[in-house]
Amino acid sequence: MLRYITRRLLYLVPVWIGISLIAFVLANLTPGDPARLALQRELGRQPTAEETAAAREQMGLDDPAPVRYVRWLGDAITGDLGTSYRTGTPVLTSLADRFPTTLQIAGGGLLLAIVISIPLGILAAVHRRGPIDHVSRVLALLGASMPSYWVAYLLILLLSVRLGWLPVAGSETWKHAIMPALTLGIGGSASLMRLTRSEMLETLNQDYIRTARAKGLHARSLLLRHALRNTLIPITTVLGMRFAGMLGGAVIVETIFSWPGIGKLVVDAIFDRDYPMIQGFVIFMGTVFLLVNLIVDLGYGLIDPRIRLAGK
Amino acid sequence: MGTRERGRGIDRRRLLLATGAAGLSATVLRSVAAQNDPTGSVRIGVSEDGYRTDERANVGFYPLNTNIFESLVYLTPDYQIEPMLAESWEFVEPNTWRITLRQGVTFHDGTAFNAEAVKYTMDRIASNGGGSIGVDEHSTVIVDDHTVEITPSYTNRRLMQQIGHPNNSILPVGLNPAEARSGTGPFREVEYVAGDHYTVEANPDYWGDAPGVAEITFQFYPDPTARLLALQAGDVDLITDVPRQSASQVEAAGATLITGPVGAYEAMYFQIHGEEPYDIGQDRAVREAVSIAIDRQQIIDSAWQGNAEPGTTMIPPAILGDSAELVDAPTYDPDAARQLLEEAGWIEGDSGVREKDGRQLTLTLVNGYGTAADHGSVPEVIQAQLAEIGVGVEIVQTPDTATYEQRLSVGEGDLWLEAGSQNDGNPAFLPDLLFSTPEEGGDPEATMYGRAFAPGEAFDTEITRAREAVETAEVQEAAARAMNVVINEERVVIPLCGFYRLIGASSAIAELELHASGVNQRWTSLRLAE
Repeated sequence: MLRYITRRLLYLVPVWIGISLIAFVLANLTPGDPARLALQRELGRQPTAEETAAAREQMGLDDPAPVRYVRWLGDAITGDLGTSYRTGTPVLTSLADRFPTTLQIAGGGLLLAIVISIPLGILAAVHRRGPIDHVSRVLALLGASMPSYWVAYLLILLLSVRLGWLPVAGSETWKHAIMPALTLGIGGSASLMRLTRSEMLETLNQDYIRTARAKGLHARSLLLRHALRNTLIPITTVLGMRFAGMLGGAVIVETIFSWPGIGKLVVDAIFDRDYPMIQGFVIFMGTVFLLVNLIVDLGYGLIDPRIRLAGK
Repeated sequence: MGTRERGRGIDRRRLLLATGAAGLSATVLRSVAAQNDPTGSVRIGVSEDGYRTDERANVGFYPLNTNIFESLVYLTPDYQIEPMLAESWEFVEPNTWRITLRQGVTFHDGTAFNAEAVKYTMDRIASNGGGSIGVDEHSTVIVDDHTVEITPSYTNRRLMQQIGHPNNSILPVGLNPAEARSGTGPFREVEYVAGDHYTVEANPDYWGDAPGVAEITFQFYPDPTARLLALQAGDVDLITDVPRQSASQVEAAGATLITGPVGAYEAMYFQIHGEEPYDIGQDRAVREAVSIAIDRQQIIDSAWQGNAEPGTTMIPPAILGDSAELVDAPTYDPDAARQLLEEAGWIEGDSGVREKDGRQLTLTLVNGYGTAADHGSVPEVIQAQLAEIGVGVEIVQTPDTATYEQRLSVGEGDLWLEAGSQNDGNPAFLPDLLFSTPEEGGDPEATMYGRAFAPGEAFDTEITRAREAVETAEVQEAAARAMNVVINEERVVIPLCGFYRLIGASSAIAELELHASGVNQRWTSLRLAE
């Protein structure tokens, strides 16, 4: 097991180099001078040639692109991912500051998606073509078709404007995290609910379930101990991917709720051609994706002993 | 021998008189609570936290001016300058400003405001390229404790009109605003939580008139709809930057909409030096026809829900003073536009689009500065209006400013839609930056506007005069004439709208004097209701 984990972690090195190189090339091919853009935002007007020249020098943009990449890579090996052109703060500090806040709402959203979708998916499968199945189908359809910004505004209208229970936006208290997490959770529930239902239906039609049922096994035990466990592999895979997506792609939710997370940070960086931040982000998120996948893979072994034994 | 422009003390009465002279007045919404000292607290919903936190740190003064810091001069809402930390100033030929500083002023940390602080601040600006005022490390010289001389690195007689921009706020010696914020302003910092909120309280030792409220919390809401909902939910008492398209929702939500004087603009520029296929703008008849085929009022009514004024100049007319009358804005006349095109040989084809020598009169309109979203449905309204005179328009929406400018730098477009704001007192800066004839072989990005739009000698002559004049009236007159060249004579610039700020206020707010320029807003005028 330890060797397996070590091997997977070593994969990170070529992944880091590959994705950082791709990010660097793409960012540099995109039109726009980061110095000029940073100044425009900073000054609220077109900068003079002198201001742009000074900023380019400060940012080290006068060197050729390959020189800048090699210099950046050398620094990155020592843990220095550079300094943001946009904010002037070290990239690693910004990412480390922002990641836990995103983790809060993504974790909350994931938990909510699990709590909503798995029980409803199971019930829909068990009561196939019954009222619960129909209701869950409608809910899934709604959840899948409502864009996240619309869900966010509806939640604000209901929970803040109408009922006055929660603050509209901000990040100071735990109350501020509820609506962003709800928005992410609702968005994530729809497909997960349908997946749980279809996987559960497939499992319930398996011979071993029929055999267990024929042997008189209690329905709840049959469902939760035998059927559910076998449906969890694809669900865990999707959960892992969705969680990683929430971590990197919650930009709209973060903007609406003024939630200082990592998604908004990188979108602003892209608009401002903030190369160090973009490269730092892809490395950071590449690592997160790989770790999440690793945890999911290890989770397979816990869910299904056959996978663990095959690994040996 | 230099000329001398004496300053007057800034006080509330003078401010009101100044704004009243420009057709403005304090927006009094409700009965003001009786008070002598600052009282109560206000929560203001503002847009994104745009502060930098590196060596160019601007925390506390720009783009959200929390009134912690102050500049040497104050830009009045009608774009004139008045003394602030500078009591008076004098121009010394050939290129020096001698500035006498206000005495008895202290920073919030207790240190004295003096010439050393001014030098420290100007040197800090110099190390970042010199700003719009063009200072370098040798520019600022201390004459005595309360007198400095500033000599820009190039001839800049507009320095005092530019130095009032909050970006030039005076810092105490050694202060890095990324680490601490200590200014001379009417408010001092209580707490800054990046991306979340900024809280300030009234400065009890302020040298000027005391603020009306004891504490203000600026809460950052990047999303404008969330900001509006925060006002509706009662999370905040006031919101800035209400989107023009949804201004009516402020009153529908039971709040009051406050509007200020015009401080920003939307305009369309015609490329006049383009190469095929973007060379149609070289035909002056086409430029003139397009300029008089635009119905500004219709744009305002349909794209901005009535929340703008028809633009007559590229920058706020107030900055030109009486000389604003020298700028002849095009008058809407579609029949005359059709006739102009007919006379120029552009004949309507089968598709309804005019043609000449087998070439269709179709223009590419590039939308993306500041962002494409800033212009709402304006491109589509223009497209429909120009179709009425047989001019086709292809709209290109660029995803961001960088892509817009990259397109401009290679000249791929005919019409360029832009929005901007005037945040200092120099009427010549922006026209100079955009339309002066560029130097041969200059930096491609620095010269892209000139290469596309510069109308030539007539403009250059007037803008040079505006740059070099000392007296304000002469500057205004020369800048107005320069603008008349690009707008009326050469039809390079088509003014569309003058934008004023839109603020939503709850019933808790009694009074606020709204500045035309958001970054120059003084919050001292804010008063709570009884």
